[in-house]
Amino acid sequence: MENSTNNMGVETRGQFLNFSQIRRWPEFGVILAFLILFTFFSIFSSKFLTLRNITGILTIVSELGIMAIGVAFLMIAGEFDLSVSSVYALSGFLFVTLSNSFNSPLAFIITLTFAAFIGFCNGMITLRAHIPSFIATLGMMLFLRGSLLAVTGGESVSYKSDIIMPTLLTRYIGHGFRPSHIWFFLLTLLFSLVLTNTRYGNWVFATGGNKEVARAMGVNVNKVKVTNFMLSSLMASLSGCIVISRFNLANASFGTGMELEAIASAVIGGTFLTGGYGTIIGVFFGAFLMGMMRTGLVMIGAPAYWYQTFVGAILIIAATINLKLRRLEM
Amino acid sequence: MQEATLLAKMVNMEKYFGAVQALKKVSIEVQSGEILGLLGDNGAGKSTLIKILAGVFPPDKGEIFFEGSRVNFSSPRDARAMGIETVHQALSLVDIMSISRNFFLGREPTRRIGPIRLLDRKKMNEECEKAVTGLGVRVRSPNEFVSILSGGERQAISIGRAMHFKVKLLILDEPLAALSVRETREVLRQVEKVRESGVSVIFITHNVYHVYPVAERFVMLDRGIKIGEVYKKDASPEDIIEIIATGKMPKILKS
Repeated sequence: MENSTNNMGVETRGQFLNFSQIRRWPEFGVILAFLILFTFFSIFSSKFLTLRNITGILTIVSELGIMAIGVAFLMIAGEFDLSVSSVYALSGFLFVTLSNSFNSPLAFIITLTFAAFIGFCNGMITLRAHIPSFIATLGMMLFLRGSLLAVTGGESVSYKSDIIMPTLLTRYIGHGFRPSHIWFFLLTLLFSLVLTNTRYGNWVFATGGNKEVARAMGVNVNKVKVTNFMLSSLMASLSGCIVISRFNLANASFGTGMELEAIASAVIGGTFLTGGYGTIIGVFFGAFLMGMMRTGLVMIGAPAYWYQTFVGAILIIAATINLKLRRLEM
Repeated sequence: MQEATLLAKMVNMEKYFGAVQALKKVSIEVQSGEILGLLGDNGAGKSTLIKILAGVFPPDKGEIFFEGSRVNFSSPRDARAMGIETVHQALSLVDIMSISRNFFLGREPTRRIGPIRLLDRKKMNEECEKAVTGLGVRVRSPNEFVSILSGGERQAISIGRAMHFKVKLLILDEPLAALSVRETREVLRQVEKVRESGVSVIFITHNVYHVYPVAERFVMLDRGIKIGEVYKKDASPEDIIEIIATGKMPKILKS
């Protein structure tokens, strides 16, 4: 036992941490990176550490983060969902259109139901056609985005309805805070609890970790996967409704490329691309890191383009560390 | 010796994979508290046969009886609920999950907090640690990942898990593949213990020397056909190898 512990020291993190410690705190890396960047921005921009800026970041982070939680939850079960960005745009559009004709709560329910149906289709296509979910959902992403652009002709639609859902989702509640921040926190806690403290969470880990073993041990692997596809779609849809309620406007091009930001948040937060491992708290900080960089870089005077550069670099570093961790596991 | 009672019986099993017939009218029986060696070369149909018994897939034809009544398993969950459990070299534990999460996978204990049911992680860890330590496997914590365990420790935990959940028929699918000499011995000792507690075992292997010391009876398969069945007292390991190699029962052994 003594020897194996020594062999598992993680060199990239310094000698003082061995692997089993990191494994118990899988969020360690992302929280460290978060704190470093937070301190960095606070020092180099006088306006960064202000309530107004922090709540502004929170607004962006919540919208990305809610989507990222769903994406990560599905990734842990071993599947990808690239269609989330299109579900996000489509949901926003559907929500605005239905709200304008009926009322916002009904529009919200119909939108979420439709999103869940898309998730169900993603799952069934992946499982029935036996094609990788990466391809199935890439197809769905293009299909939905194309349909949306074709139907709307690229025209925006304004929100002209009641304030019930906008108030519940994203209207200011004082000091720059919005309900979406609260939803993000609550959903983080809820998904985290489900993942680590329920039977279903155990099945999600097992399905992503080794689906043959999970099946042999009596887990209904397909049901877990389809459920998680639906949850991923639902979360993207919620995120879409939030952002549209904030802008009071829906456009077919909203959220283009956001699926990769969501996946990046999940990976930076320690979720394995290969499934079977990840934490929702990690995703929370992953999304936070992304949102913070977006505003932080602008505030220290860097052109906005550098955002993608930094995200790219951090993503590669995070994925490399994940892979090293995985090698140590095997 | 007490009167043997029949635990499980598979009658005229047939299974096709596309145009290939993997099983041709194969019948086997397992008595209570016996270790049955299921032998055959690669592709003989051993795994297909026991996967049907474990509920992984249904047979195309044939009947399964368990504890006297006819059963149909539509999933491994059904088979497990009846007390049939498989331990497979590669298919029993998830590497990147903790020992205790693996131990209770599919049968997690929960505690109620109001309307919600949460995992009883304290109970999981305590019971798992007790069961695992009882098997002589030394782990620092049930929270350790399975990936750090040796092949022998994994088999010990898989078999221990089956015992913990009161298995009646334990199917061991090539349990000694890729194990060291010492680990092989430990697993065989554990298999003996399982039998002593009254559990029946089907021990699948292509290496007769692995199963000969512990089993009382052997069934040999070849390309989907049952080619023979012998008691240990009637045949040496070499006789059994001869049967597998030639695909025929010698006349003197036929009863």
